[in-house]
Amino acid sequence: MTEKKAPGTSGSDRPREEVTGELKEKRDAFLHTFFRRGAELTEELVGENRRLREQLGELEKDNAALKTHLASDAAIRDLLKKIEELEREKARLLSTVHAQAEITNRFAEIESELESFANLYVASFQIHSSLRVRTAVRHIRELLVQLVGARRLAIYFVDEGDKHLSPIAADGVDVATVPVIDLREAAAPASAEAIVERTYLTGVPHLADTDPIASPAACIPLQLENRTVGVIVVYSLLEHKKRFVAVDRELFKLLGAHAGGTIVSAYLWGQAGGRSPSAAALRELCA
Amino acid sequence: MNAQYSCLVVEDSPMMRQLLVVALSRLKNLHVTEADDGVDGLRKLATGKFDIILTDINMPIMDGLKLVKRVRSDPTHKNVPIVVITTEGSNEDRQRALQLGANAYITKPIQAPQVIAKVRELLRIEA
Repeated sequence: MTEKKAPGTSGSDRPREEVTGELKEKRDAFLHTFFRRGAELTEELVGENRRLREQLGELEKDNAALKTHLASDAAIRDLLKKIEELEREKARLLSTVHAQAEITNRFAEIESELESFANLYVASFQIHSSLRVRTAVRHIRELLVQLVGARRLAIYFVDEGDKHLSPIAADGVDVATVPVIDLREAAAPASAEAIVERTYLTGVPHLADTDPIASPAACIPLQLENRTVGVIVVYSLLEHKKRFVAVDRELFKLLGAHAGGTIVSAYLWGQAGGRSPSAAALRELCA
Repeated sequence: MNAQYSCLVVEDSPMMRQLLVVALSRLKNLHVTEADDGVDGLRKLATGKFDIILTDINMPIMDGLKLVKRVRSDPTHKNVPIVVITTEGSNEDRQRALQLGANAYITKPIQAPQVIAKVRELLRIEA
């Protein structure tokens, strides 16, 4: 009879104990390997876990840094926006300041013009306010002193018969010491008399524009009916008056055009005994 | 419109007076009364009330210094501000006027903005 083989046995006829021992060894080896691999796996997992935790920590740090960066970017954006706004405000303020400066300048110009007009108004009013020679001449002197700031001056009138320019009034200087100018003889060149003579002969005003202002400071021809009948001479100006200004030139024009006529009118009015001409006589002259 | 302030201008020169009046006319609410000399000024002061006085120094009959002295000794007007108008080089007159009680001075030739500024300052009128 054939002996039935136990399952799992080799076909050899080895003893059962031997086979069992071999199997046990295999099982132990397997278990050993299994647990060793398990331990290794666990160790790997632990290591991986640590590494991932470290990575996570780094990512969290990076994240925090990025958040900070983003926050600072936002702050910079806010600041840039603020700077833009401030720049716009600055431009607006500068434009306002410029506009204000322009207004201030214009205001000063208008002030100056107003003062000029006021002076010219008063001068033209006063120059014709009297038909007495003494008063008319006093007003002319006052205009020169008070409005122009003349310190020393003389008013010359021509004596057409004798061909002389004679002083008729003066201020700040004794009229008796003001020289008579002989028109038949040329005065010494560059002398005050030569300038007065030239002003009379040419009818062109002389205004010194040197600093300090030379003497005579001004010579103004007195015109009457396209003729020169005299000359106003301003020898010097008040200490604080350093140079002529625009309104002075306008006042000189006014005096040049009207002072001669005022003095002659006042003289003729006095000669006529202060009588007005009759309407009939005037009508005849107007025809 | 009634003037809020009243000013007395004492000046013998018609031209100077007119210059002052024209300059002061730019101040609204200021009524200007003119006087020919110190005596005329006192006459006007006796019959009116003034907030400020502008006076020349060199005047016939009664000069500006005497006027300042009289105004300061008058109980009615002793506190009225006074501006004296002087010529260049009259430093003594200027000092004397200030000693007698004048509040300020203006030197000729006068300039309208200077006159206006001084009156505004003394009357405390804002520009």
